[in-house]
Amino acid sequence: MEKPITTIGAAGLAVLTVGMAAAVAHAQRGATPPRAPAAQTASTYSGPRAPDRKPDLNGIWQVLGSAHWNVEAHSASEGVPAGFSVVEGGTIPYQPWALAKRNENFQNRLVADPLRKCYMPGVPRAMYLPFPFEITQTANHVLIAYEFAHATRTIFLDATPHMEDLDFWMGDARGKWDGDTLVVDTVSLGDKTWFDEAGNFHSDALKVVERFTPMDAAHINYEATIDDSKVFTRPWKMSMIVYRRLEKNLELLDYECAEHVYEKLFKKPGSTP
Amino acid sequence: MRTSLIVAAPLLAVLVLPGIAGAQDGRGAPPAGRGAAPAAYPPYARPVSTFVAPRTADGQPDISGLYIAIPLPRGIETPLVPMPGRAPNRANGEFSYSLNERPKLPEGAITRPVGVDPPDGKIPLTPEALARRKQIIANQEKIEYLDGRVLCLAPGVPRTTIAAPVVGYQIFQKPGYVVIFYEQNHLYRTIPLDGRAPLDPNIRKAMGVSRGHWDGNVLVVEVTNFTNNLSNNWVIGAVSATPGVPAESLTTGHGIPHSDLYRVTERYTPIDANTIHYEARIDDPKVFTQPWTIAYYAFARAPKNYVPVEYACFEGNDKNLLLMTNTDITGVRVAVP
Repeated sequence: MEKPITTIGAAGLAVLTVGMAAAVAHAQRGATPPRAPAAQTASTYSGPRAPDRKPDLNGIWQVLGSAHWNVEAHSASEGVPAGFSVVEGGTIPYQPWALAKRNENFQNRLVADPLRKCYMPGVPRAMYLPFPFEITQTANHVLIAYEFAHATRTIFLDATPHMEDLDFWMGDARGKWDGDTLVVDTVSLGDKTWFDEAGNFHSDALKVVERFTPMDAAHINYEATIDDSKVFTRPWKMSMIVYRRLEKNLELLDYECAEHVYEKLFKKPGSTP
Repeated sequence: MRTSLIVAAPLLAVLVLPGIAGAQDGRGAPPAGRGAAPAAYPPYARPVSTFVAPRTADGQPDISGLYIAIPLPRGIETPLVPMPGRAPNRANGEFSYSLNERPKLPEGAITRPVGVDPPDGKIPLTPEALARRKQIIANQEKIEYLDGRVLCLAPGVPRTTIAAPVVGYQIFQKPGYVVIFYEQNHLYRTIPLDGRAPLDPNIRKAMGVSRGHWDGNVLVVEVTNFTNNLSNNWVIGAVSATPGVPAESLTTGHGIPHSDLYRVTERYTPIDANTIHYEARIDDPKVFTQPWTIAYYAFARAPKNYVPVEYACFEGNDKNLLLMTNTDITGVRVAVP
C-alpha cells in the first residue's frame, strides 16, 4: 500500500513523482472515463449567474448527513450519527476480495483511516466532510478551498488535458460546463485515500466524474460516479445535496489537523507554547 | 549530523536552502568581508508605480493570474552580518532556488536587503523575546523547536510570501474578495474586501485572518488572529540558524517568536503587468520593541509552461521527522469530527 511518493512526501513530490506514477498512468490509459447520465436538457436553475452566464457557485458550501462516517446505510454508533446510504442502489459493488478488505479496514478504522493521520481526504470524500468549503469561480477555473487540513482543488476549465505520470492526493481535475451543470473529471488520485471512515476504499485506478447541478441559489445536486475496475464490479454513483452556508460574514476557519498531531505528541496539556 | 540528515531527507535538502537572507539582487551590492563595515544601501522608499492594472468586473485592479516567487539571492547578507566575500556563483547557491527561467526584476528596481526598517537590519526583539529566540536556536534540532515549515505546519504571513522552493502563487479575484492559492503546502487565503469586522480574538488561524482593501492600485491587507499554540508557529524565519549568527539577525531567521498580538500589514503593489512588489510591516508589542518592515519584489508572472502541482507536505513526512529528530509520529492518530 505504501508508495514512495507519499513516504517521501513534501517538497520532493513534484520531482519524485515523475517516474513513479508511470504505472498508474499506464493503467489509466485505455479505459474511457465513466459518464454520468446526461443532464436535463432544459435547466430549471434560477439562481445567480456569473458574468459568463454560468451559474455562480462562489461562496461557502457544506454537505449535511453522515456520508463522511459511512457512505452506506448505517445505524448510529459511538460518536457516529446514523445515516442513509448515498450510494445508488444502496451498496457499493465490490469485488469479493475487496469487500473482505473493506471489512478489514472497518475493523481497523480508528488507526487505519488516513484522515486520522491528517492526510488529505481525496475526492470525493473532501466534498462531504463535516466541514465547509469555499468555491471561487472564474471563467477558467473552479477553485475549492476546504476547511479541513487546508486541502485545495484547482479545477481547470480551459480544456487542457490531464497531466501524465503524476499522482495527487486531491487528484488532477479538469472541468467543463454541460449546460448549467459543472462536470469535473478527476484522475491520478492514488490509492491512499478512503471514501469514508468505514473503510470504503479504492485503488490507484480510481476515476471520479462529478456533476455539480445547481438547483437554486442555495442548493447543488452533487453526483459522483466512481470507476475503479480493480476494486469494483462496475462503476457506481453516489449523490447528495450541497447546501450554501448563508450565515452573514461567514468565513472558513481552520482545522489544521497536523497541529493536533504535534499537540498530542509534545505539548503538555494546558501548557503555554 | 545535520549534513547527513540533509542528504537523507529530500524535504530538508530543498527547504534548508532559502532563508530570508539578503538583498533582492546582488549585482549592485558591494562585496563584504567578515568584519567589514556594513554595506551602504540607499534608504528604503516604496517603489513608485505608474502602472494602472486593468479592472475586474467589480472594479478591482486586476492582478489575478499565476505567479512565481522572485528568488532572493543568497550570499548577500544584511548590513548586520557581512559574510565572507565571494563571487556570486549559482552552483554555489547564489539563488535561493533554481528555475529554468529565472524571473527578472523590473528595470530601475533598487537593490537592497529585505529588512528595510529599522535601517540597521536588526530585528527589534525585546530582551525576553531575544532570550526566547536564543533558546529556540540552541535547541533547533529538537522537534519541539524544529521549524514549523519542516513539520509541515502552515508558515503564516509573511513567511508564505518569502521565496521558497515551491514557488507558485495563484491569485484569483471575485466580487468582494482576493483569493490566494499558494503552491507551497496547498495553503490558501481568502481576503474579504468589504470592510468587515475582525474576528473574535478567540478564533485563531495558522495563516491569520485577513482584511483587505484597495488603496489605489495597492492591495493592503491587515492580518491578525494568528495561531500561537505551538513553539513552532513562526510566521517568519528560516529553517535553521547558521552557527555564529547573532539572534537579532534577520539573515538567519530561525525561531522568531510571536504572541497573540502579532499583526502584519501587507502591501501588494503591481509594478508592471508582470511584477508585484511586497511590503510587510510586522508588529507585536509583546515581542518587538517597535514595528519593523521587510520589502522586496515578490511575484513575477509565471512562464507560460509553468503548471502548479500539489505539494503534499505532511503526508509521509514522518520519515523525515524520524531521521531529523528521532521522533516517531507514525502511531499518532487524531480525532476527526
